[in-house]
Amino acid sequence: MVLLESEQFLTELTRLFQKCRPSGSVFITLKKYDGRTRSIPKKGSVEGFEPSDNKCLLRATDGKKKISTVVSSKEVNKFQMAYSNLLRANMDGLKKRDKKSKNKKTKTAQ
Amino acid sequence: MPHYQTWEEFSRSAEKLCLEDPMKARVVLKYRHADGNLCSKVTDDLVCLVYRTDQAQDVKKIEKFHSQLMRLTVAQESPQCYYGNRLTV
Repeated sequence: MVLLESEQFLTELTRLFQKCRPSGSVFITLKKYDGRTRSIPKKGSVEGFEPSDNKCLLRATDGKKKISTVVSSKEVNKFQMAYSNLLRANMDGLKKRDKKSKNKKTKTAQ
Repeated sequence: MPHYQTWEEFSRSAEKLCLEDPMKARVVLKYRHADGNLCSKVTDDLVCLVYRTDQAQDVKKIEKFHSQLMRLTVAQESPQCYYGNRLTV
């Protein structure tokens, strides 16, 4: 599992989407992250671990290659804009509406 | 494992699940360009909610929902502030 910086993660994610265009799936997972780097032992105390509240973990895979990144509240604005654009640009293989085709919608996709 | 037919119901239930226990819940997105479909799953390992689609109009909704959930998980204030239909698209 490769942990990347946000920008690099987005670049790699674009590559994943492009690679899976002819065949294959892209899986993206989003989860809240409290900054832990070690697993919690069943017995005994956790040594000096302070759970942070402002991070989330994003993972992506195509079944073979795995990438991940951690996004904190400081980067979320910039990251979210880039991430949204990325998703919208790459998930374009779905069916458009047949009845009452709204020209505005198809044009804004550009 | 409920499969939802309408986006409305799915987003409402998913939002509720995420707010119940943010540490346990996760959102999974699966996109297949070859088959032209998209599947969004929200689960906390006990309950699993799924929404599948092959419509281009749903991409925007799902992407917006994803971003909003990201904001929610990263927010430092108590999640209750974000409640009140702010997440429903």
